Amino acid sequence: MELPKPDPQIVARRKDIVAALKRIVPDGVVSDAAGLSAYDGDAITAYRQAPLVCVLPRDKEQVSAILKFASDAGVPIVPRGAGTSLSGGALPRADGILLGLSRMNRILEIDFENACVTAEPGVTNLSVTRAVEGRGYYYAPDPSSQIACTIGGNVAENSGGLHCLKYGLTTNNLLGVEIALADGTRLKLGGKSAGAGGIDVLGVVAGSEGLLGVVVEAILRIRPKPPVTRTLLAAFKSVPAAGQCVADIIAAGIVPAAMEFMDRRCVAAVEAHSAPGYPRDAEGLLLIDADGLKAEVDDAIGRIGEIARQNGAEVREALDENERTKFWAGRKAAFPAMGRLAPDMLCMDGTIPRKALPQVLIRMSEMARQYALGFCNVFHAGDGNLHPLIIFDVMRPGELERAEAFGADILKLCVEMGGVLTGEHGVGIEKRDLMPAMFDEEDLAQQQRLKCAFDVQGLFNPGKVFPTLSACVEQGHMHVKAGRIPFPNLPRF
Amino acid sequence: MTAVGVKSEREVVEAVREAREAKQPFDIVAGGTKHAFGRPQALSERTLDVARLRGIQSYEPEELILTVLPGTKLTEIELALSERGQRLGFEPPDSAALFGSNGISTIGGAVSADTSGSVRVRHGGARDSLLGLRGVNGFGAAFKAGGRVVKNVTGFDIPKLMCGAFGTLCVLTELTFRVFPRASQSATLMLRDVAPAEGFQALRRIWSSPLEATGLAYVAPLAIPELLGDIGKGAALFRVEGEAEPLKEKVQMLRSALGARDVKDVALGDAAFARLSAAALFATTAHDVWRVGVPPSEAARAAESIGTELWYGDLAGGVLWFGFEPDNAASIAKLRAAVARANGHATLVRAGLPTRKRVAVFPQETPERAALTKGIKAAFDPLSLFNPGRMYEGV
Repeated sequence: MELPKPDPQIVARRKDIVAALKRIVPDGVVSDAAGLSAYDGDAITAYRQAPLVCVLPRDKEQVSAILKFASDAGVPIVPRGAGTSLSGGALPRADGILLGLSRMNRILEIDFENACVTAEPGVTNLSVTRAVEGRGYYYAPDPSSQIACTIGGNVAENSGGLHCLKYGLTTNNLLGVEIALADGTRLKLGGKSAGAGGIDVLGVVAGSEGLLGVVVEAILRIRPKPPVTRTLLAAFKSVPAAGQCVADIIAAGIVPAAMEFMDRRCVAAVEAHSAPGYPRDAEGLLLIDADGLKAEVDDAIGRIGEIARQNGAEVREALDENERTKFWAGRKAAFPAMGRLAPDMLCMDGTIPRKALPQVLIRMSEMARQYALGFCNVFHAGDGNLHPLIIFDVMRPGELERAEAFGADILKLCVEMGGVLTGEHGVGIEKRDLMPAMFDEEDLAQQQRLKCAFDVQGLFNPGKVFPTLSACVEQGHMHVKAGRIPFPNLPRF
Repeated sequence: MTAVGVKSEREVVEAVREAREAKQPFDIVAGGTKHAFGRPQALSERTLDVARLRGIQSYEPEELILTVLPGTKLTEIELALSERGQRLGFEPPDSAALFGSNGISTIGGAVSADTSGSVRVRHGGARDSLLGLRGVNGFGAAFKAGGRVVKNVTGFDIPKLMCGAFGTLCVLTELTFRVFPRASQSATLMLRDVAPAEGFQALRRIWSSPLEATGLAYVAPLAIPELLGDIGKGAALFRVEGEAEPLKEKVQMLRSALGARDVKDVALGDAAFARLSAAALFATTAHDVWRVGVPPSEAARAAESIGTELWYGDLAGGVLWFGFEPDNAASIAKLRAAVARANGHATLVRAGLPTRKRVAVFPQETPERAALTKGIKAAFDPLSLFNPGRMYEGV
């Protein structure tokens, strides 16, 4: 992937830009080389680029002033939360200001009467739940990086997680935002009432990957914690049988709280890593949660178990809360576990219609043989969101190229089967040049015009999401170097 | 008045290109039931009739995915879904009764006007169900956005923009929804003879419980007496759904949560919620009809300060419906004050022309927000060809 070429005229004005930012945030400008190296990318290690300068505002007034300055001076802005993006969404530019929002980390209001929390963008996802769990509430979107990733980043990426099958993505749990526009003007969109009336601008801000504005406050829906959760582990003799089981459960009208798939290779890696007690001889494993009231959960678990057995699975239930936690910890550690075994990995993120699961799993195995590469499958089966991990060794000539070609073929297969390029990681810089595989020129032109309504100078996160005219064929993937996994201890997807 | 009928997306493209050439805007209609919803327009000379752009393109019950053309009647969609034990999560009501129309509401109209039923409290509005779309923009180009899977973050979420845009941004030509399984049984309990403050408080308590209620409404005494009988000061209605055993558990929990007060089963619960969803109680009256959104905790105070007799609150108090005597400036002033205090918003759903000419029909925008709204309009329809002025001046 080609990084955008810096504008030498902006780079030449660096000293003035740093000085101007210091006037706005005296104690929050990082401009020395050593300091900036801490901000030279996000969770995609393949791309590294130090920003022109990094500024860390403490409040929304400072954000507005920074944007006003950048707009007047014509300097690009790259917003950043915790830098955990898996698509390069927060990758800096050599000619751009990196706007780090991590110091705006206050929870501003907890409103139990209206079941919502108002938070600044730098608040971490998990700390929202921590703030309300004492009263029996939680915040449903749970990307696996939730101990680190921020609400601002979640809104920008429309983050998902394990439980979005039942409880929706960030956008379905977001009541309102205050957004700072390109010229520093701030607008409130949505709010605590049901539906905002007027055109639903909030809906398009969620998932806009930092291309439309900077979220400076967000109002989040909180939910009562379900009183009962039960977890089943179903071990299958073949991968397609597990895929069929998923399709059958959804078709039966059951909406599990979570339904996760791991294949044999992944199970072996996880067992070697943390030994959660998965059966090692299965070709495919489904980990299924049902939550809600007791009778409801009992009913669902009974039916799910029956469907799994009809598909040839051996089914066992987590005996207690301790074992339940262990089962899930294993799943959440799948990515770091694989990272220890493989020299290098690419992580994909396509979504397909659930019924295509068996077929897609077979086609991926064929491709793996064709490319002579190993891969393993771990994914959110309930909503058809695949995360195949391609294993390769960058030291062996040609393997990186083969792995990238394999990855691109997987994403194209997802689109061909009626699915999409990215289910939750975002397009960012990583899948930018694959956009034409899903959208034609008119589709992309319409999206770009919408961006212009917010950002006429094109200063917000330029070089992300939309393919440039000089598009080189690139692949959607996350490149992880052995031993240099970003946030090695952070659970993933 | 010229009406152009279209049967395919290609014909929509042609019609829009002709409109561009002639610089002649048009109103987009299908069922025509909501024609009187919105600002009185400059009354375009031309109408684009998309009623024949209809039919279920694909319905995959095992995927919970439905793709339809915008002119498809809601009745046809409901029938197809209910045969497989499913439903639209936002259960859009038919608007014909409310507006005294002979037509039948279509899915394109429901999405465009963002109409939804009481079950929205559980599954969200049209925005939470619409996964993808095709449409024709004001440049005369057909485009698509979103996708046909539940989990997708590829590109901007343009489908959400179209929910409640009243056809001012594009001509919809295809819509893809996620649909939801529907439990086989429901039960409605009524807390009788409670004042608004007490009623809404009970509703919010159940809203914030794991019961996953599919209807939470407060009804003033005069709203639907034919279904509820004498309810004293007013009644709170609670609907829960489930299969046999789970439903029994929910009803039991609901009863114990409501305590030892005057709680009774309502046999006609679904009928009551259907009537509230469609605002059908106003069908036989001449009232102006307002829909107000407030934070649920402000519902009782807002309703009391507005002080009209014919009203009800849905979505645990998140939405309030009021009937006013036609063109009653004093009532409107009280409503505006209450809405401002509650940090809410108000939409004039039904009124005669003079009222709709005189007052803001849609929530009022700050100058900054109005500029953004106009920019978004221009991004889709720079020549203002579609439903010009239906929502705001120039939009």
